[in-house]
Amino acid sequence: MELLPQAIVDGLLIGGIYITIAIGFSLAYGVMHIIDFAVGEWIMLGAFLGFYLHKGTGIDPFILLPVVFLVFFGVGYIFQPLIHRVLSGKRGNPVLMGLVFTFGLALMFRGIALTAFGFYTHSIPAKFFQGSLFFQFGNFFVTIPMIRLAGLIYALSITAILHYLLKNTDFGLAVRALAQHKESAGLMGVNAKKTGSYVYGIYVGISAMTGVIIGSIFSINAQMGADYTVFAFFVVVLAGMGYLAGVPWAAFLLGLVQSFFLIYLSPSYTLLAVFGILYVILLISPKGLFAKGV
Amino acid sequence: MHRKILIFGVIFVIALATIPLLVHDTFYLRVITEAIMWIGLAITWDVIAGYTGYLNFGHGAFFGIGAYTTAILMMRAHWPFGLALIAGGLASGLTAAFIGAPTLRLRGAYFAIATWALARALQQLALVLNFTGGPDGMRLPPFLNPEFFFYAMLTVVVITFAGLWILLEFAPFGLKLKAIREDEAGAMALGLNPTSLKIQSFVLSALPTGIIGGVYAYWITYIDPASVLGDLVTDQAVVMAVFGGLGTLVGPAIGAVLLFAFKTYFWAYLSDYQVLYLIILGAVIALSVVFLPDGLWGTILKYKSSKSPMPLRNDTGETK
Repeated sequence: MELLPQAIVDGLLIGGIYITIAIGFSLAYGVMHIIDFAVGEWIMLGAFLGFYLHKGTGIDPFILLPVVFLVFFGVGYIFQPLIHRVLSGKRGNPVLMGLVFTFGLALMFRGIALTAFGFYTHSIPAKFFQGSLFFQFGNFFVTIPMIRLAGLIYALSITAILHYLLKNTDFGLAVRALAQHKESAGLMGVNAKKTGSYVYGIYVGISAMTGVIIGSIFSINAQMGADYTVFAFFVVVLAGMGYLAGVPWAAFLLGLVQSFFLIYLSPSYTLLAVFGILYVILLISPKGLFAKGV
Repeated sequence: MHRKILIFGVIFVIALATIPLLVHDTFYLRVITEAIMWIGLAITWDVIAGYTGYLNFGHGAFFGIGAYTTAILMMRAHWPFGLALIAGGLASGLTAAFIGAPTLRLRGAYFAIATWALARALQQLALVLNFTGGPDGMRLPPFLNPEFFFYAMLTVVVITFAGLWILLEFAPFGLKLKAIREDEAGAMALGLNPTSLKIQSFVLSALPTGIIGGVYAYWITYIDPASVLGDLVTDQAVVMAVFGGLGTLVGPAIGAVLLFAFKTYFWAYLSDYQVLYLIILGAVIALSVVFLPDGLWGTILKYKSSKSPMPLRNDTGETK
């Protein structure tokens, strides 16, 4: 029982990171109906850009976030027309084509990263957030590492910014219109191609920034992508694919599942539980916990 | 036309069967055996994905179930290989029937993610269970006879190929599956029973995969969750089928041979550049999706029908 508050706090702190892993992915699915197998690889590439920028300049990784975002926004913006081409046109099975295409991209990125960065594991030290907060209430002890708290705050602020962007700007209106009905949005003057490019750029940018955060909380290596793809899929399916408001709850749930398995059961059962829950949720309610997916 | 295909097929199989008489190098025989195995995996995946239109991203699970069932029955219950092999195929087929009923209700991306999650869950299960040997995997009694395994694999794959060819290309069953792929509600309106047909096609895809897995387990003599239940089996089968051409049987077979030959060449002669293999494979997949969406064989078929003086009916039934 003494560990219960710690388990909950750990779960929430980890869950915050899962929000930013999944929220861009969910946005891209909602607008473009692409299931991006490369989501983990974007995270990995962003992490390495952050690592080398930090190594080269010595600037704190949290200050480098906007740079990483801008670079990968550009990369996503350039890649989107290709994906648009794969998903549209006279192709029998756009879902499969999208999956296979991004799977190919994922393999390619992993190969390039292994060639360029090697097999070593690195971490990105953040000087601003060191040490940890320590609380004690009677018998209960809770430790909150500053860096994880910073990660949670980062995730919540990204979520807030995205929320503002989608609900209060013309661009957000266009994105929501595209997600609701592509043809009608086109008739109302929304440029699907251009808006799609921005959305994909935002998604890739957020994923890359999250990679930097992951690098300063945990560690990074060229093969880390696949794990985060799993987590992104889990959160997005649980939330309902394309339903952004569900993402934070699903992400916190994943964080809690992980921390409870880590503390109370054996960690080797964690992935079994993650995949088992994912499968059962899909069978019971394919549109997610809130039945609001597309 | 049918007779021509039959004669060509028989000659081709006889030619394949003479390979061990000509090739005495164990390495090449092993490579050819594995190429035949990948043909089997690619065409069985194509049954559910290409013909029925349901993207199974957990095909490797059936391979692993067959491999593990065969291994466990041979090692723990001391069954003979033949019986254990059949049991492995049945276990795969039964699993497909059992999980197919709830899972095949999902469509498109949801089905793809569900099967993927289930396959990964099975892999994790094999890692934590005791009777599967956990992460250490299982060792089978070594039986070092490359010719035996060549013929075993050839027999299984040829029977699978012929059976699928008859069911999918001659019998109305193939048309029924294609009807579901094109329009499930429309197929139901025509009096078909999509649920039952989908489960049949799922079992048809899983059963031979399990048998191939069983042969693989006894041939390699060592299996562990990463090698037979990991993502790689599914991924490669998918890539081979897509590269060759979905919705045909010849296409995935061609894709399997080409990609496997490429992979072997890389691993055998350019092993210092193994990472480069990932890059090239990824690039080939991405480029073929963009520029060859019908796959190699699909593109050739299209080209042939556009050159033909008589309007030929293509796969989707439109006249060109």
